[in-house]
Amino acid sequence: MPVITIDHQELEVAPGTTVLQAARRLGIEIPALCHRDECSANTSCMCCVVKVAGAKSLLPSCATVVTDGMVVESETEEVYEARRTALELLLSDHVGDCIAPCMMYCPPNMDISQMLRHIARGEFDRALAVVKEDIALPAVLGRVCNAPCEAACRRREAGGAVSICLLKRFVADVDLALENPYLPEKTPADGKRVAVVGSGPAGLSAAYYIARAGHECVVYEREAVLGGGLRGTFAPEVLPDSVLDGEIAVIERLGVRFECGQALGEQLDLDGLCDRFDAVLLAVGPVERGVIEGWGLKADSKGIKIDPATYQASRAQVFAVGGALRPLKFAVRSVAAGKVVAACIDQFVTGRPIQAPDLGFNTKVGKLSIEQLQDFLLRARAEDRSEPVEGLVGGYTADEARAEAERCMHCECSAVADCLLRKYSGLYSADAKRFKGEFGRPIRLQTGHPKIFFEPGKCIACGICVQIANAAGEALGLTFIGRGFQVRVDVPLGGSIAEGLMKAGEACAKACPTGALDLKSET
Amino acid sequence: MSEVDLGFVDESIERLGRKQEAAIPILQAIQDHYRYLPDDALRRLTEKTEISASTLEGIASFYDMFRRKPVGQYIVRICHGTACHVKGSPLVEEAFRRSLDIRKGTDTAPDGRFTIEGVACMGCCTLAPAVQIESSTFGHVTPGNVDNVLHDFLLHPDKGAPGAEALEGSPRSGDGAATDGLVPEIRVGLGSCCMVKGSNSLYTELKQTVQRLKAPVEVKAVGCVGMCHRTPMIEVLEPNGRSVFYDDVTIAHVEALVWNHFRPESMWRRLGHHASRLIDRFLVEETAAAQVERHALDIRDPSVSAFLDKQKHVVTEHFGNANPMDLTEYQRRGGFFALRKCLAELTPDSVIEEVLASGLRGRGGAGFPTGRKWRLVADSKAERKYVICNGDEGDPGAFMDRMLLESFPYRIIEGMAIAAVAVGAHEAVFYIRHEYPLAVQRVREAIRRCQAMGLIGPEGMLGHDYGLTLSIMEGAGAFVCGEETALIASVEGKRGMPRLRPPYPAQSGLWGQPTLVNNVETLAAVPWVIRNGAEKFASIGTEKSKGTKVFALAGKVMRGGLIEVPMGLTIREIVEEIGGGVMPGRTFKAVQIGGPSGGCVPASMQHITVDFEALAEVGAIMGSGGLVVLDDTDCMVDVARYFLQFTQDQSCGKCTFCRVGTRRMLDILNRICAGEGKPADLDELEFLARQVKAGSLCGLGMTAPNPIVTTLRYFRDEYEAHLQGRCPAGKCTDLIEYRVTDQCIGCTICAQQCPVDAIPLTPYRRHVIDTTLCTRCDVCRQACPENAIEVTDRCR
Repeated sequence: MPVITIDHQELEVAPGTTVLQAARRLGIEIPALCHRDECSANTSCMCCVVKVAGAKSLLPSCATVVTDGMVVESETEEVYEARRTALELLLSDHVGDCIAPCMMYCPPNMDISQMLRHIARGEFDRALAVVKEDIALPAVLGRVCNAPCEAACRRREAGGAVSICLLKRFVADVDLALENPYLPEKTPADGKRVAVVGSGPAGLSAAYYIARAGHECVVYEREAVLGGGLRGTFAPEVLPDSVLDGEIAVIERLGVRFECGQALGEQLDLDGLCDRFDAVLLAVGPVERGVIEGWGLKADSKGIKIDPATYQASRAQVFAVGGALRPLKFAVRSVAAGKVVAACIDQFVTGRPIQAPDLGFNTKVGKLSIEQLQDFLLRARAEDRSEPVEGLVGGYTADEARAEAERCMHCECSAVADCLLRKYSGLYSADAKRFKGEFGRPIRLQTGHPKIFFEPGKCIACGICVQIANAAGEALGLTFIGRGFQVRVDVPLGGSIAEGLMKAGEACAKACPTGALDLKSET
Repeated sequence: MSEVDLGFVDESIERLGRKQEAAIPILQAIQDHYRYLPDDALRRLTEKTEISASTLEGIASFYDMFRRKPVGQYIVRICHGTACHVKGSPLVEEAFRRSLDIRKGTDTAPDGRFTIEGVACMGCCTLAPAVQIESSTFGHVTPGNVDNVLHDFLLHPDKGAPGAEALEGSPRSGDGAATDGLVPEIRVGLGSCCMVKGSNSLYTELKQTVQRLKAPVEVKAVGCVGMCHRTPMIEVLEPNGRSVFYDDVTIAHVEALVWNHFRPESMWRRLGHHASRLIDRFLVEETAAAQVERHALDIRDPSVSAFLDKQKHVVTEHFGNANPMDLTEYQRRGGFFALRKCLAELTPDSVIEEVLASGLRGRGGAGFPTGRKWRLVADSKAERKYVICNGDEGDPGAFMDRMLLESFPYRIIEGMAIAAVAVGAHEAVFYIRHEYPLAVQRVREAIRRCQAMGLIGPEGMLGHDYGLTLSIMEGAGAFVCGEETALIASVEGKRGMPRLRPPYPAQSGLWGQPTLVNNVETLAAVPWVIRNGAEKFASIGTEKSKGTKVFALAGKVMRGGLIEVPMGLTIREIVEEIGGGVMPGRTFKAVQIGGPSGGCVPASMQHITVDFEALAEVGAIMGSGGLVVLDDTDCMVDVARYFLQFTQDQSCGKCTFCRVGTRRMLDILNRICAGEGKPADLDELEFLARQVKAGSLCGLGMTAPNPIVTTLRYFRDEYEAHLQGRCPAGKCTDLIEYRVTDQCIGCTICAQQCPVDAIPLTPYRRHVIDTTLCTRCDVCRQACPENAIEVTDRCR
């Protein structure tokens, strides 16, 4: 039985075992996009390369059979660089957005596409729940947000951006009008206590998520009324007090305690707060250097100095967010920051390493022309953007909202959760924009198959589906068409994907390492 | 209802079979018949054969020769081989497009008459730039004479170069003359290049003239003469053994030529010497006689002897004086002696020992020791084994294999047979690219004759009961099929996609059986090695590179052609002495060795020797032997881009590094050539070159960066000039401008010839080029009789 050494670990394997199989048995993760155990080696993606002692070039571990005494390195800098380059090359020819541009540009990264999907189906409550995952004050923001999401919406070129902001406001208003507006599930209380100083958009947002994480949360407000910068800045017809109060009431119902007339440096002092609470969040809005230093904290030219990775101020127990760090023009940025800092605080008080949440690895296609959008437009309502009949103040009616939400093309990738290209691009810190150039495959979307979508622009030409279709005995099946950079996988003889995959459609979609073939989901 | 009559499809299926391996031959037959692959024909195939739709579409879209759409009445094939490229084939294609009104992105003229098609290399490098319209080939085409070419073709659209009738008609010319060389002969080269230049009709004319005049001389068709720069060429061997070459001969010269050398016997008797001279004056038209004198080249002529003296003919033994198809002559000159020896005297093991001892290494590129490869196959235990002759010579700028197959088919068959005996194979396949119809035709006929004469066949060889089945598989146009695992996939009727080695074909090749894949030239050397002994072969060449190597010498060199030299000659000896250097007034800049997998060696390194090791050291490779000479008018960035364009187009598309990596390198080079490069691009190119080399699956990808790596190493200054918006050689059209100088006499020729009317007609005054209209096609510069048009940096 041949013995192999991978990264200094020895293993005896059965004859015919590949290096990839051996590595997996040793618990060494090797990225392999084009490999499936039930298929013969495609040796296409070349992300699984390893350094075999004595070999001139790097070898794909998926097709390299172990020979006795073989010595393999899987973690050298050379191997890492080759894998990252392979991923970057694949990304340079991969036409897709992992997440939709609107979500990408939404500061709190709300899952707008999912919200719109629910609205289109009339599931306004579910839509609101999606919104509240990321936005604590949707009814407020629905009135005062500058809506960077709409600037990024691909329908801008095709009848105007989807009216995302108004639709969010619509579901928030529907919710607030209920006797018992939506309250998210709370993590069971753990006895940890967090003080939030300031009840502006950042403080309110943070309090919402801190309370949701199961911690006791007290918000101190210097003024007599809550809301900080949200109060009194906007004309009453733009942001009526009732809306702000309504959303604050929800936060209160979640268990957050509010105390007004409590100013830091006057009624409150930082040492005292630190004694009484496990963590303190300063969401006090713009503040002068002298004042900051008076609190015993470090300042920089714009405000309280923090570690940008953790939001911690110079005193570990103290966090700061929002306008207290630097002037912020838009409330949505404060709301977004409140959510992030709440996550950091949650990690801190529960003794975990602090890691501000981010979206992970994402590719972006960039601008697409109307022609390139054609197929994607087919799954959206064709009409141009509609304004509410009642006017901006009145907002959408339910029917209007549903119709408008149907205009969404759902640009995100349905395979975002299980795409191997995305997963390993993140792990290997691949730069999706490193290599620029034309795409080898058409930017298309085939929706004619009852079970699956086919998006050739996302295909990495690995050949797994070609093998699966062939093994399933498809009459037409799939094949490689063309050669070189232009090679693409498609149904032979001009057939549609529905004709090509009469039997193996779902199997192919499940095996596809990217979102080129993916199941039509019911979410 | 089907629009095409599918009767032919059914017929082809009956003739070629229903199995997967018949897929490519059937598609080739369909393509030849309909001139494209109609969808209905493919559907019919899926119904009537075991070949799946997936396989058919995969193949039909993989190989260059297959077309899925109807084509025009005539196909114009523009060769984009290396030699053609550096001599202006892109401008020629542009001129054809303009002349035929074929817009970018389309390939057929609006009237449906002409379809234009770029081809990787037609292997007529000494005729560069070469263009083939249907079966007529035109050499030395320029943007200025495109209209003449089309006109010429349309005068005789069905003329063409007619294959090998001349040879077929006289399969045994020279037969019976046991005293080789003493019978006076007029030898006419009938290689593809010579035939393009009319040697076929010359041959017919000579035959008729000799017959008519009853001249005491044999007219003999021979294979490639090698001196392609002087075709059509004939050699006259006088009774006294003196040999005289004539170059650029036309039919008009024929009679005078025969008269000059061979006074018809009857006249000698009747008139005597003096009188014959009188008649001479009457019969021979003066101009023709003068021309004959002008074209005569004594073998002692310095240019001829320089071309020939350094050469050493092993695989091209008897070059220029053997009729390729004459089996009797082949045998008379020692043909099949080696095979007989292997069958009668040697054991397979001792044959391998002999090949090992000779030091023969694979001539296809990588230089793997041939004996060792044979040993691996011989040692593999299996019921069936195969030998494949790799004649898929796809490198642009290389035509050695074509010449060998056309000129020495029996020698290669013998080499194949010896290899088969040595490794224990009973089936041998010639894989020859379809772009070499004459080679296919001659090898097919040679196999037929060997079988008809009972020399080699499934029942036995040369009276021994070792059977060998020989067959031919025509490639369908894919450079990557030169890679042995891709080639095997292609023989099996699949897309030519390489796979990871090991397992090597020696263990698991064709149909999973041990398979020996050897290049044409390697096999051609084998009979010589066995006949003359390993020691004699090993005495030629250098310590590690034994024997000789055939090179296709082309590009900017005075005497291009096909040469065979001992390993270890210097680049200088080859380029300057054999090739006669570059054109007068030009400077030798570099030589591109090894095609797309090779590199550019600068003139400053012309002292290095041409052998496997020395070339590898400077970043080039021996490759299959294309040797393209470049001069100061060649832009090295453009040359690098040219090769990368080729490899990325020819990549099978399987592995990421080759499929996307070469393309991204090309993107960078395109930006640089357009003047949009950034300094960081050069680092990125080098980075990608390293990655593609290290991470590609097969030899194509691993060597694809070589032309970039070597040009970056030796000509970095040219890259940097491009970054600053200048093309020092004046080649990159985005960076140059045409200007009329003071020397203009106002003759209006340029204005008349400009295809885009960018030069207003101003008789007797200096002309001016409108640079906004100018497409930089170079027509005006070539047409100007006063050299008054210059290429300058473009003002940006």
